[in-house]
Amino acid sequence: MKPMPFDYARATDVPDALAALADAEAGVRVMAGGQSLVPMLNLRLATFPRVVDISKVAELRERGETADAVTLGACVTHGEIEDGEAPEPAAGLMRHVASGIAYRAVRNRGTIGGSASLADASADWVTTLLALGARFVIRGPDGEREVAAPDMFLAPYFTAMTDQELLVRIVVPKTSRDATWGYYKVTRRSGEYGLTIGAVILDPARDRASVVLGAASRTPLACTATAAALRGAPRWTDALEAALRVAVAEDLARGDRPFEPHEAIMVETTILRAATQALGVS
Amino acid sequence: MKVSFTLNGEAITADVEPRTSLADLVRGEHRCTSVHLGCEHGVCGACTVLIDGKIARSCITLAVALDGTAVTTLEGFEGDALMDRLREAFRAHHGLQCGYCTPGMLITAHDLIRRKGALSEAALRQGLAGNICRCTGYAGIVAAVAAAMDEHGDTARAAAIAAE
Amino acid sequence: MSLTSAPPALAAVTAPRPGCIGDRVLRNEDGRFLAGHGEYLADLDVPGTREIAFLRSPVAHARIRAIAIPEGAEGRVFLLKDLGDIHPVRAVLTSPGFRGSDYPALAADTVRFVGEPIAICLGATRAEAEDLAQEIVVDFDELPPVVEIEQALDPASPSLHGWPDNICFVSTPGGGDLDAAAKAAAVTVSREFRMARQCVVSLEGRGVMAWWDRRLQELVVYSSTQQPHVIRTVLAKLIGVPEHQLRVVAPDVGGGFGVKNNLQQEEVAIAALARRLKFPIRWTEDRREHLIASPQAREHRVRLTAHADAQGRILGLEAEAVVNAGAYSIWPWSAAMEANMVAGILTGPYAIEAYRGRGVTVVSNKAPLGPYRGVGRPSACFTLERLVDEIARAVGREPHAVRIDNMVRPEQMPYRTVTGKLFDSGDYAESVRQAAAMIDVPAVRARQTRENGKGPRFIGLGFASYTEQTAHGTDEWIARGLTEVFGYETATVRFTPDGKLIIEAAIQNHGQGLETTLAQVAAEELGVDPADVVVRHGDTAVSPYGMGTFASRSMVMAGGAVGRASRQLAEKVKRIAAHLLQVKPDEVTLAGNCAVAGARSVPLKSVTDAAFLHPENLPAGEEPCLDETTTFQPLSGTGAFAYATHAVVVAVDTGTGLVEILEYAVAHDCGTMVNPMIVEGQVQGGVAQGIGNALLEESPYDSGGQPLASTFADYLVPGAPEVPTVRIAHLETPSPFTAYGIKGMGEGGAIAAPAAILNAVNDALRPLGVELNETPITPKRILTALHDARTERAR
Repeated sequence: MKPMPFDYARATDVPDALAALADAEAGVRVMAGGQSLVPMLNLRLATFPRVVDISKVAELRERGETADAVTLGACVTHGEIEDGEAPEPAAGLMRHVASGIAYRAVRNRGTIGGSASLADASADWVTTLLALGARFVIRGPDGEREVAAPDMFLAPYFTAMTDQELLVRIVVPKTSRDATWGYYKVTRRSGEYGLTIGAVILDPARDRASVVLGAASRTPLACTATAAALRGAPRWTDALEAALRVAVAEDLARGDRPFEPHEAIMVETTILRAATQALGVS
Repeated sequence: MKVSFTLNGEAITADVEPRTSLADLVRGEHRCTSVHLGCEHGVCGACTVLIDGKIARSCITLAVALDGTAVTTLEGFEGDALMDRLREAFRAHHGLQCGYCTPGMLITAHDLIRRKGALSEAALRQGLAGNICRCTGYAGIVAAVAAAMDEHGDTARAAAIAAE
Repeated sequence: MSLTSAPPALAAVTAPRPGCIGDRVLRNEDGRFLAGHGEYLADLDVPGTREIAFLRSPVAHARIRAIAIPEGAEGRVFLLKDLGDIHPVRAVLTSPGFRGSDYPALAADTVRFVGEPIAICLGATRAEAEDLAQEIVVDFDELPPVVEIEQALDPASPSLHGWPDNICFVSTPGGGDLDAAAKAAAVTVSREFRMARQCVVSLEGRGVMAWWDRRLQELVVYSSTQQPHVIRTVLAKLIGVPEHQLRVVAPDVGGGFGVKNNLQQEEVAIAALARRLKFPIRWTEDRREHLIASPQAREHRVRLTAHADAQGRILGLEAEAVVNAGAYSIWPWSAAMEANMVAGILTGPYAIEAYRGRGVTVVSNKAPLGPYRGVGRPSACFTLERLVDEIARAVGREPHAVRIDNMVRPEQMPYRTVTGKLFDSGDYAESVRQAAAMIDVPAVRARQTRENGKGPRFIGLGFASYTEQTAHGTDEWIARGLTEVFGYETATVRFTPDGKLIIEAAIQNHGQGLETTLAQVAAEELGVDPADVVVRHGDTAVSPYGMGTFASRSMVMAGGAVGRASRQLAEKVKRIAAHLLQVKPDEVTLAGNCAVAGARSVPLKSVTDAAFLHPENLPAGEEPCLDETTTFQPLSGTGAFAYATHAVVVAVDTGTGLVEILEYAVAHDCGTMVNPMIVEGQVQGGVAQGIGNALLEESPYDSGGQPLASTFADYLVPGAPEVPTVRIAHLETPSPFTAYGIKGMGEGGAIAAPAAILNAVNDALRPLGVELNETPITPKRILTALHDARTERAR
């Protein structure tokens, strides 16, 4: 399990990286933390003639905060988010999510931008950033553009970016201070990718509710009916639960393919448990 | 391709293919064979080392990406008081059988104690979840880390009292 | 009962002395592992070594039309024809009706499973060897694959080995009057059970390194193996190098669990090639190879029917076990090991007088099946113990009470089972009582009444009991039809002139703590400090001939050999010491590194000094030197039977299908314990693997014969959060047939866990109309069953 030979270049800055990506025929692959890429190279599931390492690019390691949003450079690691070494936009949700990605040794090198660029549908950040309504700042030969989360993740392993573009930073809107969230991931073994992921953010001050179902071997699904049912709900009641079950079924019907009976049970559980967490039901 | 970094405190320069993993480099000419390869895709934890003081998987880290860093394998923990305590505790609690997962487990446990201090058993187990042991069923490992953790806490408290 | 010509067993130890049998001695081997100084196969540093990558079949079943080797690769790519005159492996049983087949070291004409080795590729690094392997083009003429058990049983399926069908062997153990039992029965309960195919997953993969030693004129083969001596024997036959010119060494081995307890095709190919090369070559199995191409385990379908009286006492049992053994029969166990074992032990720890078993071995286009901790027993225990629970329900009793009533009673010992095994000693029912007490059955039942049905979590309680045949003797291996009979073990115990002790054992220690426990046995007899004893093992050049570490045998067998050798050596030590102390030999005892007679004592160092360096100080007629080599065979040819009852409480989340283990208790009896700390470690470690078997581990194949689990992302093994700390109660009934009354116990933990956990999950889900009889019980299987039950109720 050793990779095929490839060339390696370390980008010093973003233009340097973009220059390496410019030749569409060259088959260059960007490496940030390498925690997904190198396993694929080791297994020879992926072969690229050239790898350009962006992990040392200072701009991509920056993080910032405005009144409305938090900005995370693409090469901020899961571990840094876990440790609070990046500003938190959503009442601790991002720290919580980061702490549950794979294992600490992987989190120390794996990056949020790498995860978003790979767009594995089972990845925690894909679901979370969708739920948070993040925006992705992408730079390429034609300059910089910003893509909203729903337009970023087109299908598993398929994003709005071209091969000549680089994800530079992620802008995550802040929730209001009293927003609550729920995050529920079903794994068979700790640290594994989720079989299903439910992310719920309730922000009554902004009259906003957001529900995303991730993993489940599908493109993450924005559960708009469930979100509508949750918006403004003050607490958990039997009536709310019944309404949510109906709404979840409605959302699932919009999935890109039907759910098997066992999947349907699991995803309903996932969404409802994330919702109960968000509503503070123990 | 040339890469220079510090390995267990010693500056090294190596000429490697870009595809060479950190694990293969340090196991090879530098004979740091405490670094074990159990999966080569980042799951089992047997190859865990420190890069700039943080634990990392050396099997899915390219050596060429480490220019200017400091790498520590289990061989580099000589004289480390916490590691010595962990080793004693692993022995006292039968926290190893075949020994293959042991170096990675020790380094992960060392990191966990340094970062977290005291932990509940459930949190301790979560902290070790990225290191597979196929022999022990983890009971001895968990007991050993818990014991070293308690002792570490006591030492830290004693130091704090002494400082006052 | 067959008694060997061996002298009577060394008697059981009553009260442990420090450092001796029964003491919790910390391990001698820990130091080097904790320093990171273990030396495993990939760590060996021999100048000039080239690394191997095997070109392996990407297809399940095909004829090889042609193999195109890239230009310039001469001397770096080797096919079967390049290995010289070697024989294919032909692992057969002597049993009539067994259908044999050839397993060539490298496939030349036909490939029969994905991962089968075709060519050896050499490179300065493994990466370069893999590059080369990737350049070779094989032209395959694909054949339809036989994948699942039902296909393999279908006579219309293509035959893998030119037999009339794909059935390798059928065994029909049994006895007693089953028809009468059926007639007398108040209840008859039948079920079909399935245990999925698994991978073994030693954390270190397999590996082989070999070179020709020009000075010694011998072929040196390092292998990550559990049995170096017998590998030497069979390699010699296959590659034509005589045994005295072959040295096989197992360095530190990073876990075995059975997967390194076979002759490996890679060993044959590499040894044969190394004989023809001028430099060392090494293959280090990677994880993908391990998950695809290593011998795999389990894959059983068992149909079981029990006839019982109104109290649930089993009057008769009828079983058919079909095992998918994969493409080839591996040496020495043969393809039929699993099916024969399941069918042969299905009566469990119970006094069942009528039994009709049928063990069917089928072949298919999957990786060959080999031993894995427990061998057929996890499956046999799973099926029988699941059925016992169903019998209990059928007669309206607590499952653990029904177990107690069915068990062989202490006063029946030694007890000959209907399939011919001789249970040696113990109070089987007591293990159930102790496990039930530890888990507190009434409290669990009360908790179930309180909690189940109030939310998505359902609590369940499960038990499972078993006997584990260990340290199988000569009779057992003959009865199984093995071509080699592993009935004994050997050890040399030798002092050095400075008074220290070296044990040279033919077994191989890969985590079992034998560098400590064998030292404890020597300490028992010779009064030496076990921390001071060196145990050398795993090397045909340093120990007398022996069989290796497998089948829960090493402590009994090698322990027995060390005990006998040490006792004989102790007699000589006492004679010399008596001479030095001017007392009679029978006045001398050995303790604390000294020979003691009343108030007088002499250090062992003085004794060894006399024995090795000062023969003038020896008693008249005493030969110099102090070493002894003996063998050991258990007094019963079917070995010693350990037993246990596991009790587990689970919570099943009906919303996710996940199973959480809340409590796990084991009451077990492995006879005299040499080191309870190590015994507990073996139980705990076995349970962890059993949890994997029950909940996580499965190697599925698609209909084309492609294995679907080739990484740890697909093949899940338990981590620290998935395995609870097991509470363990020791019963300690010495075996009358072994040295010190020791019984083997290395596999036990893994045997009962799948059964106990499945019973607990079924206990939890029974109110919902769900019954699950297949491992692993994944969320998908649980949720699908819940959905089906719900649909059924709604109808």
